[in-house]
Amino acid sequence: MAGLDQLKITFFDECDEAMQQIEAGLTDIRAGQGSDDTINSVFRAVHSVKGGAGIFGFESLVGFAHVLETVLDGLRAGRLVATDDNVGVLLQASDVLSDLVSMSRSNKPIESGYGSECRVALELIIKQEGGGASEGAGDDSSAPADFDGFDFKPVQVNFDEPAANAKRSYSITFRPKPAMLKKANEPLYILRELRKLGELDLVAQTDLLAPLAELEPDHPYIWWIGTLQTEATRAQIDEVFEFVASDSDLEISEIVPDSSSPAAIEMADPFVPATSELEIASPSIVPEAAAEKPAADAATRAPPAKHAATTTRIELERIDRVVNMVGELVISQAMLGQIVQDLPEGTSGRLAQILEEVIHHTRELKDSVMSMRAQPVGSVFQRMPRLVRELATKTHKKVRLEMVGETTEVDRSIIERLGDPLTHIIRNSVDHGIESPADRIAAGKNEEGVIRLSAEHRGGRIIIEVKDDGAGINAERVLRKAKEKGLVRPDANLTDDEVANLIMLPGFSTAETVSDISGRGVGMDVVRSNIQDIGGRISLKSVPGRGMTIQLALPLTLAVMDGMVIKVGDQTYVMPLSAIVECLRPARSDVSNLIGTRGMLHLRGEFVPLVLLSELLDVGTEAKDAGERVVIITDAGEGTHFGLIVDELCGHQQVVIKSIEESYGAVPGIAAATILGNGRVAFILDVEKLSDIAVSSALNDGMPTTRSATAMVA
Amino acid sequence: MPNANAVKVLLVDDQNSVRQMARITLEEIGFRQISEAENGVQAMHTASLQPIDLIISDYNMPEMDGLALLRAVRSHPVVRKVPFILLTGRGDRELVVKAAEAGVNNYLVKPFTAAVLREKIEQVMGKLS
Repeated sequence: MAGLDQLKITFFDECDEAMQQIEAGLTDIRAGQGSDDTINSVFRAVHSVKGGAGIFGFESLVGFAHVLETVLDGLRAGRLVATDDNVGVLLQASDVLSDLVSMSRSNKPIESGYGSECRVALELIIKQEGGGASEGAGDDSSAPADFDGFDFKPVQVNFDEPAANAKRSYSITFRPKPAMLKKANEPLYILRELRKLGELDLVAQTDLLAPLAELEPDHPYIWWIGTLQTEATRAQIDEVFEFVASDSDLEISEIVPDSSSPAAIEMADPFVPATSELEIASPSIVPEAAAEKPAADAATRAPPAKHAATTTRIELERIDRVVNMVGELVISQAMLGQIVQDLPEGTSGRLAQILEEVIHHTRELKDSVMSMRAQPVGSVFQRMPRLVRELATKTHKKVRLEMVGETTEVDRSIIERLGDPLTHIIRNSVDHGIESPADRIAAGKNEEGVIRLSAEHRGGRIIIEVKDDGAGINAERVLRKAKEKGLVRPDANLTDDEVANLIMLPGFSTAETVSDISGRGVGMDVVRSNIQDIGGRISLKSVPGRGMTIQLALPLTLAVMDGMVIKVGDQTYVMPLSAIVECLRPARSDVSNLIGTRGMLHLRGEFVPLVLLSELLDVGTEAKDAGERVVIITDAGEGTHFGLIVDELCGHQQVVIKSIEESYGAVPGIAAATILGNGRVAFILDVEKLSDIAVSSALNDGMPTTRSATAMVA
Repeated sequence: MPNANAVKVLLVDDQNSVRQMARITLEEIGFRQISEAENGVQAMHTASLQPIDLIISDYNMPEMDGLALLRAVRSHPVVRKVPFILLTGRGDRELVVKAAEAGVNNYLVKPFTAAVLREKIEQVMGKLS
C-alpha cells in the first residue's frame, strides 16, 4: 500500500494538472472563449485542489481555494458576471493558489497573510452577488462537518425485503425524425434499451417506406407502436428517449387499469418518502433546484468525453529503460542486418525475410515507446500566460497571449529543454517587441498587443512559433550595430530577414536600455544554441512596424532518428535524414567555378553553393572531381540550401543517438555519435552548424577546424 | 448484519490521491473488496460488470459527476437499489438537498475519519460485523 508521503506526491501531481486546467480555462474566459463547460472545469479543478488539501491537512491552501471556489461557483450559477476586472482577479488568484501549492509541496511555512490582498479582492467580488445568495461566502472552514438544523435522514436499506413493485403498462408511439439519424442516434439501440425495462411488444410500421429506388439511406421510414409492461417509472422510460426526444415524435401514456390505487404507485419508488420530507425541510432551495440544469443535460454532455481512454501512471525511469533497450535492439538489429548482407548470395533468403519482419516490428516498437514518452507541449505553454501577465504589468503594456496547438505532442526530453528558450523569446516579445499602448495607438494599432504562441507537427518535426504584432526589428539599428561590432562586413548587403537573424549571433544585444526583464548578456544567441543543442532550428522573420515571428523547428525525439550513412575518405558519418533535401550525382557541366574546393551547383535554375565535407571536417580524401562524387543538398534553415560533397552514400538507417557531449565535450559540426551495424562508432553530423562553419569560413576565407572529431574516431 | 469484508464497495473519485486515502480508511474499517472508478461513466461501467453492495462517490468529477451518477444508478434496472453515499465538501448544503431528492442514502463531508465513515456506512447498512 502506498504510504502517506507517496499519496502526497500523487496529490501534488494532481495539483499541477489542476493548475494547468485553471490557467487555461481562465485564459479562455478572458479571451471571451469561455463556455459553461470552461467555468465548470475551472471550478472542478479548484475544488479538487481544495478537497485533496483538506485531506492532507494543508489548511492555508484549503482556505484560499475555498474563497476562489465560491467566486467560481457564483460565476457558474450566473450570480456573478465574468467582467474583465473579475477575471483579472481570478487570474491573480490562480497565481496565488499556484504559489500556495508549491509552498505546501516544499513544506515551506506559509506566512499567515500570504495572498491576503488577493483574497480581499475575491471577497469583494463575492459581495457583488445579489443579497442573501452569498451565504456560503468567506472562509467557512470552521463550519461544522454536518449541517446543523438540516434534517437529513440517512436512508437505511433492508437487504432482505425486495421492494414490492407494481407493474404498469404504457402505450408507446415512436416516430424518429430525419434529424435523429443525422445525429447518429440509432433507433434500434433505443428500442433495445427500452426492452431492458420490461416486456416490450412493438410493431414496426412500414407504411411510409419508400420504393427501393427512391430510398434514402439516412431517412427514417419506419416507426413503431406498441406497449411496455414494466416496473420502471415513467422517468426511466423518458430517460431512454432523452437523447432523441426532440428529434422524434414520441407519445408515451400509461394504460391505467381500474384496480390500480394511488398507494400502489407510491410503493413503486421506495425513495419517494425521503424526497418529500426534504423538500419540506428546506423550501428555500426550490428555485435553485429549478435553476439547476437537469440531469439529462449533464448526461448529454457526458458522451463527447475528452479523455475516455483509461490511463495509468508509470514512472519515467521505467519508460526510459524501455527506450534504452529499444535503442540497443536497433543496434543489434543493424548488426544482424550487416551479417545477413555479408552472407554469400542465395544463402540468406529466409533469414533476410525474417530480418525484414524484425526491422518492421522494431520500428513499430520504437514508435509506441516514443509515443509513451510524448507529452503535449501544453505543459510548457501553460507557464506563459502568467509570464506575459506579469511582464505586461511591469512594463505597463497591454498584451494578450493566444495559444494554439497545446495538445501537440513531443518527446518529454524536448519539452524539458524547451521551457527556457521559449520563456526567453516571449520575454523579448513583451519587453522589446510589443510597444507601449500610447505608441501602438499612435501607430494606428489596437492598444492591446497580441502574442500568438502556436505548435504543430510538420514534416516529422514540431514547429513552435511565437508571433507578435509589435514593432518588429529595427533593421537599420541592428545592421549598424552588427557592423560596429564587426559581426558583418562593412560593405555587406543583407535582406531584412538576414539582418533580423543577426540578433542571434553571439555577442549581439540591441536593447538600448538594459531592462530587468530581458536582462543583460544572455541574448538570442543562447536561445539559438539551446535550440540547436536539441537538434532544432530557429528562424526569425521581422516586418518593421508590423511585428516579428520566431519559429522553432524541433525533432520529435532525441533518442532515435532516421539517418543517412555517408562516407568521406575513410570516415563514416550519419546525416539526419530530416536535414537532407535530395541526393544527386551532378553532371560535370552543372558544376561551375570549382576552383580549389568551393563551387556552385546549377540546380533547376538555382545556384547552390557547394562545400566539400572532407574539408569542413578535415578528413583526408583522395582528390576526386565533384562530378564523380555525390552531392547532398541540405536544408540549412531559413529556406537556404547548400550542397555537401561526399564520397559515398551507404544507405538509410535508423540510428540510436548517443551523446558525446557528456563524455567528450561539444564538437562543432558534430551533433552526437551512434553505433553502426558493424559495431563501429560513427558521428552524426550537425548540418546547421556545418553550414555556419562553411559560411564563416567563406567570410573569413579561412579553413574551419574540426580536427578533434576525426581524432576521436581514429 | 453485514460483514465488512464481504461487502463489495465501489469507490468513485477522480483524484487518485483522495481515492487512495479513502481506500486506506475503508481498509482500516475492515473492508476488503474495494473497486475503484475515476468518474461516473467508469463507475456505471464497473457496476454493470460486477456485483456491488455499496457505492461511495465523490460529487465533483469530470464527465459525469456524483449527482449524475446517483441518478443514473437509481434509474438503472440492475443497480438501482445499491446504497449510495455521496462525498461532499463543507457547506455543500444545496448539493445534499439535491442528492436527497435523487435518492441518496447518506452523505459524508470530506475530509473524514475512519470513525465517521464507519458511522455513515452503518447508518445505511446496519451495524457492521
